[in-house]
Amino acid sequence: MSSNIVGDALGAARSARRTGRRRTKLSRRGKKEAFYFWLFISPWLIGFVGFLLGPMIASVYISLTEWDSFTEPQFVGLANYTQALTEDPIFWKVLGNTFFYALISVPLSLVIGVWLANLLNKRVRGRKIFRTLIYLPTLVPLVATAMVFKMILAPSGPLNDLLGWFGIQGPQWLLDPNWIKPALIVLSMWGAGAATVLLLSAMNGIPRELYEAAEIDGASSWRQFWAVTFPQITPIIFFNLIMGLIGAFQIFSQVYILAPGGNVGGPDNASQMMVTLLFDQAFSFYHFGYASAIAWLLFVIIMLFTLIAFRTARKWVFYESEVR
Amino acid sequence: MTALETPAVESRVEPEQSGQGGKKDDAQHSRLTAFKASPATYAVLIVISAVLFVPFVLMVSISLASDHTSAQNAFTIIPTEFTWTNFTDVFTATGLPVGRFVTNSVIIATLSAVGQVISSSLVGYAFARLRAPGKGIMFILVLSTMMIPMQITMIPQFLIFKELGWVNTYLPLIVPNFFTNAFNVFLVRQFVSRISNELDEAAQVDGLGYFGVYRKIILPMMWPILTAIGIFTLTHAWGDFMGPLIYLNSEEAMPLALGLQYMTSTSNAMQLPPWNLVMVGSIILTLPMIVIYYLGQKYLYEMNLQGGSAGVK
Repeated sequence: MSSNIVGDALGAARSARRTGRRRTKLSRRGKKEAFYFWLFISPWLIGFVGFLLGPMIASVYISLTEWDSFTEPQFVGLANYTQALTEDPIFWKVLGNTFFYALISVPLSLVIGVWLANLLNKRVRGRKIFRTLIYLPTLVPLVATAMVFKMILAPSGPLNDLLGWFGIQGPQWLLDPNWIKPALIVLSMWGAGAATVLLLSAMNGIPRELYEAAEIDGASSWRQFWAVTFPQITPIIFFNLIMGLIGAFQIFSQVYILAPGGNVGGPDNASQMMVTLLFDQAFSFYHFGYASAIAWLLFVIIMLFTLIAFRTARKWVFYESEVR
Repeated sequence: MTALETPAVESRVEPEQSGQGGKKDDAQHSRLTAFKASPATYAVLIVISAVLFVPFVLMVSISLASDHTSAQNAFTIIPTEFTWTNFTDVFTATGLPVGRFVTNSVIIATLSAVGQVISSSLVGYAFARLRAPGKGIMFILVLSTMMIPMQITMIPQFLIFKELGWVNTYLPLIVPNFFTNAFNVFLVRQFVSRISNELDEAAQVDGLGYFGVYRKIILPMMWPILTAIGIFTLTHAWGDFMGPLIYLNSEEAMPLALGLQYMTSTSNAMQLPPWNLVMVGSIILTLPMIVIYYLGQKYLYEMNLQGGSAGVK
């Protein structure tokens, strides 16, 4: 992922607002052009109304009802929200699980990504081979990755065999409430290579003169990393952090696949996440009202994180344009 | 529209892939300590890349293990047996229509990609070239929808498709793609904005209509970004798990990603799943992604240049 898109989107929105304000009388040619504009964007417009705006409004309403889709919906006001936030003991646990997962897996895989990129940015022999080894796992579809881990983490699977050679009695991983979340975090590390490749091309673009200057000043390579490399790649780290967090809050497939014996929540609900809970409530128990309320709570959390990230960005993201 | 201001969040991604192009720099600045590779550098690189790569190797070696080894869970990291018949057994010996799974995946992924390519090119072209009152507001709307997580619309969408009788068909997974999404519209729009409009203005003077300009002038120039969108949609639809899980419950309609999960969950707690065949399935799921990535690398790269990509995954 590149951080270009955030900047481009902001810029595009700004210029769109500017041109949007202009009001002029349209000529016949202009009318025809406008007609074609609406014709051309009609696929998006229909999709927007039918698959997004309509469902969003419906979702707000459904979240205020108790509804199993077979009988008439009953309006219950904010009861679903208060149930989630005050009564349902599972909800807070699930929230905790999701935060635990997101706040450990995302920064950790970014640290690994940056570390690897920094190492590969040196004059390494066989850089292409390393890059392939690191990037190839990110091309494996998530379902296939989860399958491999389900097998590796089986109680008598390869990982515990390996630990056994060192005389360590491996845990039951996916069957153990204390170990299923770490197992999910380990799985997420497999995607660290995606960030590495992008960070690497960003590091490649840093002017070498900066390093020469630092060298003359006698900075160690550790100091050079923090003083030269790191400030230059913060926009990309920042972008990956936000997108990673948003993605991590929506974790679903891995959890669903790794949870033992069709119990989506895992042992003692230890791996129940926001979206698996939502899915379970909606499609296993037909609690559409409650599930919709959970969806909106998830939305609020995602928005909050995005806002916090953007607010604090000014403080620690280095923009070259500010120095000019 | 052509002069897009790009504010502060400007990444420093350079056009060259890091492996190439850096040769001259390397020679010139090899003495800089920041770029000196010590034995520790190699040690860390080897360890981490090995750890990242081991599961991949395991997938291959288990796919070649015999049924006996698989049932005993006696796998080795480096393959010791080569049971190539697993690659045919997966289609016949699992009791599940695995061939059908693959066909379903191909159909869903291909049609999804076709839908996104057609619709995003139409909408993106309009946003880049045509003028109309209200366009600015529409574009802000497009951008703001990028932020909405799909979980919000998931339940009402399910109810709509259920009402239409589309449950257990491919339609809920394919049809929405024909109505494009904000991200792809944005990519096409950025791409077309950067194409000089001399050619289409000349064509218009010659009497070509708006659709003619799209069809004859812009569309042929859009293919790098459309290839990227096609690849991205293809890989996404191919690996999608949640959508099929919601909409498909008959074996005949399942794509491979869901079918694999089905294969492991039908075996009960006492009996291990046929791991060797599951891994063959995982390889069948993985290989097209690697092939597509290597064929389409430069187009995905193009997408990067044109204003960010959603990554390959």
